[in-house]
Formats: sequence, structure tokens, C-alpha cells
Amino acid sequence: MNRLFAVLLLAGMTFVAGCGKPSDAPAAGSAKKLTIALMPKSKGNAYFISCKQGAEAAAKELGVDLLFDGPTDPDPAKQNEIIENWVTLGVDGIAAACENKEGISTALRKARQKGIKVITYDSDADTDAREFFVNQATPEGIGYGLMDEAARLIDEQGEFAVITASLTAANMNEWRKYIEARLAEKYPKMKLVTVRPCDDLKDKAQSETTAVLSAYPNVKLIMAICSPGVPGAAEAVKQAGKAGTVKVMGLGLPSENRRYVKDGVTQSVILWKTTDLGYLTVQAATALVKGDLKPGATSFKAGRLGDFEVKGDVILLGKPFIFNKDNIDQFDF
Amino acid sequence: MRAIPNLAARVKRIAVSHETILLFIVMAEWLYFNSVGRHFGSLDNTFDIVRQTVEIGLLALVMTPIILTGGIDLSLGSLLGLCAIAFGKLWRDAGLGIPSAIACTLAIGALAGGLNSMLITMLRLPPLIVTLGTYSLFRGLAEAITRGTDTFTNFPASFLFLGQERWHGMPAQFPIFLLVTIVVWLLVHRTTFGRCFRAIGFSPEGTRYAGIPVNRRLALAYVMAGTVAALAAITYTARLGQARADAGTGYELFAITAVVLGGTSIFGGIGSVHGTLLGVTAIAVLSNGLVHARQPREAAGVLTGLLLIAALTLSVLLKKVVDIRSSRQTVVEH
Amino acid sequence: MKGHLRELSPAFALAALLLLLAAFAPGFYQLHPLLSLFTREAPTLVMVCGMSLIIICRQIDISVGSQFAICSVCAGLLAAMHWPLALVLVASVVLGAVMGSINGLLVAVLQLPCIVVTLATMVTWRQGLNWLRQGEFVNLPDNAQWFGLGQVAGQCALISAALILLALMAFAARHLAAGRYIYAVGSDAEAARLAGIRPKRVTFATFALMGALTGLAAMMNLVQSPQVDPKSGTGLELKVIAAVVVGGVAISGGRGTLWGPFLGLLLLVAIGPALTQLHVEAYWEKALQGAIILLAVVAEGLRNRKEKVY
Repeated sequence: MNRLFAVLLLAGMTFVAGCGKPSDAPAAGSAKKLTIALMPKSKGNAYFISCKQGAEAAAKELGVDLLFDGPTDPDPAKQNEIIENWVTLGVDGIAAACENKEGISTALRKARQKGIKVITYDSDADTDAREFFVNQATPEGIGYGLMDEAARLIDEQGEFAVITASLTAANMNEWRKYIEARLAEKYPKMKLVTVRPCDDLKDKAQSETTAVLSAYPNVKLIMAICSPGVPGAAEAVKQAGKAGTVKVMGLGLPSENRRYVKDGVTQSVILWKTTDLGYLTVQAATALVKGDLKPGATSFKAGRLGDFEVKGDVILLGKPFIFNKDNIDQFDF
Repeated sequence: MRAIPNLAARVKRIAVSHETILLFIVMAEWLYFNSVGRHFGSLDNTFDIVRQTVEIGLLALVMTPIILTGGIDLSLGSLLGLCAIAFGKLWRDAGLGIPSAIACTLAIGALAGGLNSMLITMLRLPPLIVTLGTYSLFRGLAEAITRGTDTFTNFPASFLFLGQERWHGMPAQFPIFLLVTIVVWLLVHRTTFGRCFRAIGFSPEGTRYAGIPVNRRLALAYVMAGTVAALAAITYTARLGQARADAGTGYELFAITAVVLGGTSIFGGIGSVHGTLLGVTAIAVLSNGLVHARQPREAAGVLTGLLLIAALTLSVLLKKVVDIRSSRQTVVEH
Repeated sequence: MKGHLRELSPAFALAALLLLLAAFAPGFYQLHPLLSLFTREAPTLVMVCGMSLIIICRQIDISVGSQFAICSVCAGLLAAMHWPLALVLVASVVLGAVMGSINGLLVAVLQLPCIVVTLATMVTWRQGLNWLRQGEFVNLPDNAQWFGLGQVAGQCALISAALILLALMAFAARHLAAGRYIYAVGSDAEAARLAGIRPKRVTFATFALMGALTGLAAMMNLVQSPQVDPKSGTGLELKVIAAVVVGGVAISGGRGTLWGPFLGLLLLVAIGPALTQLHVEAYWEKALQGAIILLAVVAEGLRNRKEKVY
């Protein structure tokens, strides 16, 4: 009896609460502060933290509320949940970095149906699920850029290995596809001997690289395509006494790699100005909500960053930037 | 002989009071978030919560009988991933239609559960360790089959409807969840199987001497768990539109948290399915409510951990109070 | 030898693996990579010692990975503030002991089930750390690496420290009263209580010790590289528990030594590099680890069929 009562009580409560709150779109008051929701691929990632810094600066300038939330580990299911929650919460604009293209597109389309403006940044969704995509570099651009830089460092011949985050990480798999395509197309004298996952952990990247160095003694370069992997691989190369003989490069943040770059252990770190990416994203999202940015525009002025080219529905940040010994001190992220 | 009815009454009192406390906690959460979040209490949001919690809820439901027997199954999340991959592969590479792929996947889940139960019953191995091994093995197989990178997408819209659309106004997975809830609840609370589970939890040897086929009952619990994990894999894939090797990572811990929060003793023998439901609700509402209260994701994890400890501590303290009261009574009686 | 039957399985498996490598991938046996491997896993060995005692005591602690991360980050922050390393070491051990004591309190005094308590503390601490740190690395000052000893000396120091600790603890477990108490409580807490041992104190102390050893391990890990990753320790509890189980320590408590888990750890950490040496793809690793754990467990089960008292 007790249990039955409890279940009925719970059901009744839900019903009452549900009747009480209409779940429609946010009120159209122009005096209300706009809310822009920004989603990283995962929260504990220094790359997206620096995007957040830029985003916060833009939010402050524009006077909008910034909601920054995402799964703690890259989890496409959780990304969907958060988007759905935001839709119910009634935010004005959503900017998402998509871990899983297909899955998240459904959630984003629903958001658009409810009148919320949607853009993507860093990694795209389906084209009909968002209005614009703020692109810092295409997966093709990243993959080709990495492969070309690697080739340059070892004179287009020899063996190399790749350290990735996890074998299931969608964006890294995309980059690997382009790396391997570029390798096959342009660098016949180079060979990719192995791909090892480091689960996004610096320490594991270090152990994996040590194992690779001993298992493949002819390896001339380690390419780490996940950001904790670059310092991990560098430390392994340094401890193996092969700094300079085996080159280290990858995608990472200047702050995490500074000392290795300066010591000559890591030759190049490729990235883009992530703070600018965050800034541009929030600027674009706000402009879209306010109606200043419309489909069909060919350029977009993003606050203090100036004008950006808009190609169709893609806003381009620029090309990947190569950090090396000469320029790494100029950056503090 | 006087002591035994007393024990039963005491036990019953504890079981009921734990769930009542949990119910109050859920209500308190609801009222708080309703006041703080603008759209929290809306029907849309409730449906969101339901749709997002189906997989974990399914695992928690089916984890309950296992924990009632004094066992545990750490491999359910990994099994979800393996079944998702199996489903994708059967549909895409083996060319099976969706219904046959679903049937085969459920069979695979059942077999995996059977593997667990065989190792546990025939070799008398501790469930914790066996499922620790299968936790790695199942996930490893999923990764090996897909080489880590392969995923399965482009499912037909009729299948995706299951995970993403509404059916007669409620999320499409809800009827499935409801069905499983009813079946598990009936099994645990209204059949002799359920009583067997509790008996095994209290004393496996005693149950064996009482003539109950312990091995078969345990097999039922674990095979059911495997089958439902496969079912959860199907709804997950439908919801996401993609079958991945890392599906369900960490779900078993959530499920165990929900079950224990709901008043089921990890040692076995005591517990209820509606308690588990309340536990799942408490965690889901907390997680969703924090988003509406504009708190970061990590807060949900921290608060869930603290909630678990608080609920357990409260339960233990209550038990001590009840014990003291009953022992005083016993002294008076005798 | 009879008393060491449990250790035979991991010993055989390890021997088999090593022979396999000698035959098909002799490149595994190079000094420097092996030294690096052992140094990397020295902290794990320290934690395996602690976890062995916990499991012998019939408990389990799945929060050690999160404890490891918190100790690492805090020690890193202190080192970055230029505290002397000896003091940082003490701080790390103390912090670990405190976290272990919280587990111990909840398990021993309040008598909450250990798996649930450590599940809760694992999630709370890991998420709390994520919340505060947001994935940001801690950069260490230059003199922190290897305690300032230089690479080779540092590696030898860490490996020796771990091995000495293992030997000391194995001795203490078998020959000191405190060690015997742990076995007694793990075998049958009620009987131990009647024999005059205080099970609650022993359990509490075991958890606190585990925490302290985690703090030590965190420090040993910290000095191996110039940065601290707040995500470190993810999955560590699984590795440590698997090593203990593969090492023949019974999950039902009261039986096993520390040498078995040592062999178990060697076996499990050798798989990854072995696969790399054999040029096997990385995606087989998890399946293999799971298979090894299951085989070890099955071997234990077959052994138990004869002596089973459920």
C-alpha cells in the first residue's frame, strides 16, 4: 500500500508540474539578456578551455550570458542530452563542437525547430542542422597539414608512428584518414608503421612512445595528434636519449609544449588561435540571434578581430598555425 | 523463535523507510529545481529526462536481481557496447533486416550473460572478479571487431524513430522501458524466482540445502541482464543514430549507484525494484536539474557521490535506531 | 613451495610470455626501454602492495585512481610553489592518508559496504578535481624532475624504492603481528574479534595505508616528467585490482601474498609493449587483458573446487 501510494504520488506530481509549465519558446522580450550556449567536445580539455577564454571575452563585450557546458569525457550521447536540455531551458543560441555528426544533428535540428539559432564550430554537424559553421580548419586541412609538416621534418623518407587519443575518437579518425590519404598520394618513400592510442593521457602517451621506439628502431618521427600526447611523446623521446634524432610533432597547445620546443625535442606544434576561435564563435552566434548575420553573407565583422571571409555557410578563421622555436613565446595559451 | 518475526518486521521497516527517504529526496530535488529553473518542470523536460535515462534505467533494473543475490555485474556497460557493434555489423555487413538483427543481438546479450553466470556458478567464482574480466573482454572484443575506428550509421528512419521521436505523445523508448520495468518488478516481487534471489543473497548454501536450484536461478538473473543490456544497446543506437564500440562506457557504475541508492543492500537479500526506479529518478533529476540551475556537469558527479554516501549513512543510522528500539522491546518481552 | 601454489599461475603465464617474446621479438629485451617501463610502473607496484592488503582484508577500494590524481595535482601545485621536494613528498603521502582515512571511516566505523563507499568517493573526487582543474596541466619547476638526480640515477632510485617497499611489506605481512591481523580479519572478522583483534581498527588502518601509498605513488610518478596531467590515474584502479587478482589473492580475503600481485603486475604491464614488439595492432590489447584476467580467475576457481568452503 505504501509503495503504491508512493508511485501514485510521484506520477501525480509529474502531471501537475507538467500542466503548470508550458514548454514553448522563450519570450520575445528584447530587453532580456541573450543567452548563448557553447559546447566543447569535452570539458577537461585545455584546447576547449582556451576557446572558452576567447568566448568569455566576446560575451563580455557583447553583453550576453555565456553558458559553457559539455560532457566531461568525449561522449556523443551526453552531448545530445545537453543540447536537449538547453532546448528546454530556452537558450537563444547554441554553438556546438560536434563529437558525433549524425547523432547530434538530430538534436540540433530540434533546437532549430524551436526557434533557437544554431551554429557549429571546430567540428561540423549536418548542413541542415545548423546555419553556419565556424571553421578553423577542415579535417582535410588538418590531416594534410600534419602530413606535410612531418614530411618536411624528415625529408620525405623514413618510418613514422602516430599517437592518437583513443581508437574510437571520431575526429582523430577523420584526421588519420586524411593523413593516410596524403601519405599514399604524395610521400611514397615514407611509411606509417603503427598507430597507438594513449586514451588522452600524457603518461600513457609516454609509455606507448617508449614501446614504439624500441619496437620500431628505424622510426624517425612521432606524430601525436591528441594534445596530451605531444608532451608525453616528447618526454619519452628525451628519456630515450633520442631527442633530435627522432623528431616529435603534433597537434597541441603552446603552453604544454613550450619547454620541449625550446629544448629542441619537439620540432613543430600545429594548432590555430583557439582563443580567437572561441571569440569568433560567440560573436557569430550573437550576430545570428540578433539578425545581424544572415545566410548569404560573404563577410562577417567579428568585433576586435575584424573581418572574416564567409564562404557559403562556413566562416573561416584561417589556416593552421605552426608553432616552433622561433615564435612559441609570443603565445600564452 | 520469537526473534524471527521480529527480524522480519525490523527488516521490512528498514526497507520501507529507506525508500520513503529517497522519495522525499526526489521530491525535494524536484521542488528545488522547479523553483530555480525556468523550464524544469515542463512536460518536454520530463520527456527529455525519460529519453536520456532509458539505457541506464534498463541496466539498473536488471542489475537489481543480480545484486539481490549478493552478486554484481560490472560488465553490463561493456556488453552494451559489444551488442551495439554486433547489431551494427549484423545489419550492415551481414545484410540482416532490422528485426532479425535485433533478435540476434538479444541472443548475443543472453549468451554473454550466460557466460558470466557459467563462470560464477560452475566454477564458484566471485561475481566481482568474473565481471571485471568480462568488463575488459567485452569492450576489447567490441574494439577489436571495429578495429576501434569503425562505426555503423545510416540506419533507416523507421528504426531511428525508436530513439528519437515521440509515439502517442511520449518518447518512443518509454513503452519498452515500462514493459521491462513491469516484467522485472513482477519477477522480483511477485514470483518465487524473486524470493529465490533474496534467499540466495541471504545465504547461498542455505538456499541450496532448501532444495532450490541456485545455479539455475543465478543463470536466470545474469542471462536476463545480458538480454536487457542488448536491448539497451538497441535503444542507444536508435537514439544516437550510430553504433560505436565505446557505447555505454561507465553505465554500469551509474546502474550500481542507482540500485544501491534505492535501498538494495550490496550484500544481497534486501532491496526492491521500485527502490531502484527511485534511485534512477533521483540521479536523473539531479543531473538534469543542475543543467537548468546553470551548474557545470561536474557538479552532478560530485553531488551524486555525496548523495550516495549520505543515503547509505542515513540508512545505517536508522537501522541502528531501529535496532536499539527493538532490542529494548525484546528485553521487555522476555 | 607448497605455500606458494597461488603464485604459480601468474609465474607460468609470465614465463610463457617472456619466452614468446624471446623467440619472436627479442627486441623487447633492450636495457633502456625495460628500464623506462619499470620506472613508469614503479608507482603502480607501490599501489599494488597496498591493494593486496586491502583485498586480503576482504575489502576493495576502487577510488585509488582518483586519489592518485588529486595527490598528483596537489603535489604538483606545491612543487610549482617551490616547496622543497621532501616536504612535497610528505604532503602527498599525508593527503593520500587523509583520503584513505575517509574511506576507512565510512567502511570500518559506519560499516558501509566498501564497494559502494569507494565508488562514491571515486566519483566525487574525480569530478571535483575536474571541476577545479578543468583539464589544465600543472607545470613543474625544472629541478623537480628525478628529484634533481638526473635520469638514470632517478630511474634506479625509483625502481629500487618500489622493490624495497615490496620486500618490506611482504615481510611485514607475513611476520609482523600487524600483518597477521590483516589476514585474520580478512579470513573471518568475527573470529578475529573474539581472538582479541579489533577488526574496525585493522580495516581503518588498511584503508589509510592504501591512501598513504597512493600519495607516495603519486609523488613517484610526478618526478618522472615536468608536467602533471590531472587526468592521470584514470583506469588505474582497474589495473591495480587486476594485478592483485591475477596474482592469486583471493577476493574472499585471508589468502595470498604480495609476491603474486607483483608477478601479476609484471604480466599485465608487459602485454602492451609485447604487442607493440610483436607488431600486433593496438585494438587487441583490451580483449587480451580481459582474457588474461578471466584465465587467472578460472585457474583460481579450478583450484578452489577442491578446497571450496562457500
